[in-house]
Amino acid sequence: MLILLGGAMYWSGTGRTSHADFTFINRGDIGTLDPNRMSWMQDIRIGYALWEGLYGLDPQTLEPVPGAADKIELSPDRKTYTFHLRDDGRWSDGSPVTSDDFIFAWTRMLQEPGDYTYLLYYIEGAEEYQKAFAAYSDKRTAAYDAWDAAANDARRQHLTEPPEPDVQPPAIPGGIKASEDKHTLRLTLKHPVAYFPDVCAFPCMFPLNQQSMDKSFDDEARKALRRTGRRTYDARFTRPPNLVTNGPYFLSSWEFKKSLVLKKNPFYWDRAHVHSETIEQVDADDPQWAFLVYDSGSVDWLADITGEIAAELKAKGRPDLRVFPGFGTYFYSVNCLPKLPDGKPNPLADARVRLALAMSLDKKKVVDTITRMDEKPADTYVPPGIFKDYPSPPGIRDDVAAAQKLLADAGYPGGQGFPKLTILFNKESQHGDIAQVVRRQWQQNLGVDFDLEGVEIKLFRTKLHSKSYAIARASWFGDYNDVSTFTDKYLSTSENNDSGWVNKQYDDLLHDAEYDTDPDPTHRLKTLSKAEQILCDEAPIIPIYFYNSAYLFRDNVKGIPLNPRMMVNFKSVYAEKH
Amino acid sequence: MVRFIVWRLVQFPLVLAVIYLITFFLAWVAPGSPFERNDRALDPVALHRIEERMHAQHWYKFLAYYPRQLLLHLDFGDSLSYEEWTVNDILKSALPVSITLGLFAMVIATFAGVGIGTLAAVRRGGPVDWFSLGLSLLGISIPSFVMAAVLLIVFGAKLKWFPLGGWRTPWDMVLPGIALSLLPMAYIARLTRVSMLDVLGNDYVRTARAKGLSRSKVIWKHCLRNAFLPVLSFLGPASAATLTGSFVVEKVFSVPGLGQHFVNSVINRDQTLILGTVMVYSAFVLALNLVVDIGYAVVDPRIDVTK
Repeated sequence: MLILLGGAMYWSGTGRTSHADFTFINRGDIGTLDPNRMSWMQDIRIGYALWEGLYGLDPQTLEPVPGAADKIELSPDRKTYTFHLRDDGRWSDGSPVTSDDFIFAWTRMLQEPGDYTYLLYYIEGAEEYQKAFAAYSDKRTAAYDAWDAAANDARRQHLTEPPEPDVQPPAIPGGIKASEDKHTLRLTLKHPVAYFPDVCAFPCMFPLNQQSMDKSFDDEARKALRRTGRRTYDARFTRPPNLVTNGPYFLSSWEFKKSLVLKKNPFYWDRAHVHSETIEQVDADDPQWAFLVYDSGSVDWLADITGEIAAELKAKGRPDLRVFPGFGTYFYSVNCLPKLPDGKPNPLADARVRLALAMSLDKKKVVDTITRMDEKPADTYVPPGIFKDYPSPPGIRDDVAAAQKLLADAGYPGGQGFPKLTILFNKESQHGDIAQVVRRQWQQNLGVDFDLEGVEIKLFRTKLHSKSYAIARASWFGDYNDVSTFTDKYLSTSENNDSGWVNKQYDDLLHDAEYDTDPDPTHRLKTLSKAEQILCDEAPIIPIYFYNSAYLFRDNVKGIPLNPRMMVNFKSVYAEKH
Repeated sequence: MVRFIVWRLVQFPLVLAVIYLITFFLAWVAPGSPFERNDRALDPVALHRIEERMHAQHWYKFLAYYPRQLLLHLDFGDSLSYEEWTVNDILKSALPVSITLGLFAMVIATFAGVGIGTLAAVRRGGPVDWFSLGLSLLGISIPSFVMAAVLLIVFGAKLKWFPLGGWRTPWDMVLPGIALSLLPMAYIARLTRVSMLDVLGNDYVRTARAKGLSRSKVIWKHCLRNAFLPVLSFLGPASAATLTGSFVVEKVFSVPGLGQHFVNSVINRDQTLILGTVMVYSAFVLALNLVVDIGYAVVDPRIDVTK
């Protein structure tokens, strides 16, 4: 029996030791390391260690700084970027980084879209290319399937070749041009985009090493290519030793849920400034366990702490707890459609009712008694102070008397005649506790009573996205360093507009801001601020608080900026060992 | 006997097929998509492409692809939530961990449980008996997440006697192993005690003592063998449950085993992984039940399993 046990231990891979220079616990399981599909914060964090876009991130400020391109020119109309790739830009296998690698990655992104493909739409012709390619692929697939059905007889299939369909793949987007020597890239945008350098640093614009990916391009993939015209890569191209990257680190080992080790890329152009030789991500399933492991000293940086643990540590005054403003807002989403999911008329379709609800909340009570991380109660939607020069509008006033009057004007004096609606939330985290507080306040201040409905997360998202709710807990985190990462959500055409709120003036202002040609960048920001005030006046959302984030690391750890976006540039990260 | 085994083996695939279908449809009708990752709605084109790649556009597309792959290549397909890993990869990585931890726990549970149970029966009414009763009550009634957390915090974090868990060195196994063994140990101790008391009263025990055998030899050799029968029937399903991992213990100690996937795959709506874990678990239960049935016949030839 003991022999059996010993054998099993060997088989399960216990007995490994690691000597990483820097160890950290990430936010959760890695979803994917394919830049096309990265969307979770933990994936993107590792992504920045492995790849480098045309712009990289400044280690301290996370502002875009020249990365894979060392010389960047912007045309006077601010629409054309010319990127000169570095002479010493190398992949982790030593081969040079060329413009082909970028064009390959971007066309792949458009052919096989992922969560952030829309960020490429700023490039002239990119969106059209995506549509044209999808149409081409569908046509080709239909032609192939028709041939396949006709040639179902095994012998005939063997004898006849599939027809080359008479449709041609579209040419690559006109906004992407490369020089002969594959050393210069020219990107033309549809209109000036103030934060385009940020987009260039983001994973959706990372280059990819096609040569290494082609190793996993097997017969099945070739067959799919013949049928659909799309090069579909097996997601396993990201697993070591297959993955070749151009960032400060390469992926040395990755065992599912056991460990992930990054090693310094010996060919990285700025290798002299890469501080840690090896970085290990320790997998933790349970936040309490993660904290105990950090506390035992075997982990240098704990990048994710639950609100409960952080609040407790904060109360104890722990010096290694680092609290800083987050990149997101916690709010309630209000269904603005004329009818509720059950077919009854929706009282929340009246903006006065929504505003009354928004004005009668004591949000401070939520942050003081439940979240307890010194969060700022929110009167607006966009967190103030995190976007440079953005003038936050005054937002929503706290005024219970005015709220009562608004409700009376809408036909529900003292809450009389107001139907009993439901507040929807997912059961994880503290959402249920918050809903209790909100419900009681509305009951006391407006005489309006709500039911509470807690469901599990996937069901919650389905209900939220299909607008099968009256009021739902919601939150939004920005993706890139511009106000539009928040405001775009409430465009009438946005897929993420979960309120069903439509306002022409808001749409127009956002459109104006997008096509703003004023040389003064604050002009555009003022337009966005005006739009945000409309959002606050109409209250399709009820802001509650702005998130705070927290890290745990001791004073010997250097190079982790307390930045709302919660990213790091791992090349500057290290732990001083005593 | 052979006919019995063959007959049971013939039943296996049928039972597994039924389990597969039921599990699949239960997972399929649950709302929510495995491909949506966060609060952002996925672009419809992107969603369509991924569904197509994963053969998950319709239930019939899914059933037309995956069961065939499973039968022909023993391949459960790609995980829908961990894109770089196939379900086989995940099982290959997680199952050995759970089996090792489970074996370790079952070794503790069996030896300690049988030992305590036997001593309690022999010294009936004495302090050992009371101790065993107390231990069993605690083992059975304290939920494992409480026990695991107490072990973690007291022996791992405060006293630092053992490492906190994870899966690096063999020592990491101690605390999760003990946490996992307590429940089966408690049952085994109780079962052993009861059946031991029963056996001790038998005539052959008196005969064995009368012919001059030592007390300990009679107890540990003659009596235990008979008293072990009910324990054996418990060991089968208990091993299946323990070897395939426990969600709670694995989570508390961050052990990268299979147990967590039973719950996480459902939360993620990762249909292929749900099916993978359920099928492995079912196969374990079926196989171990068969082993137990055969074990019965070996331990006690009076039992005719074919009837």
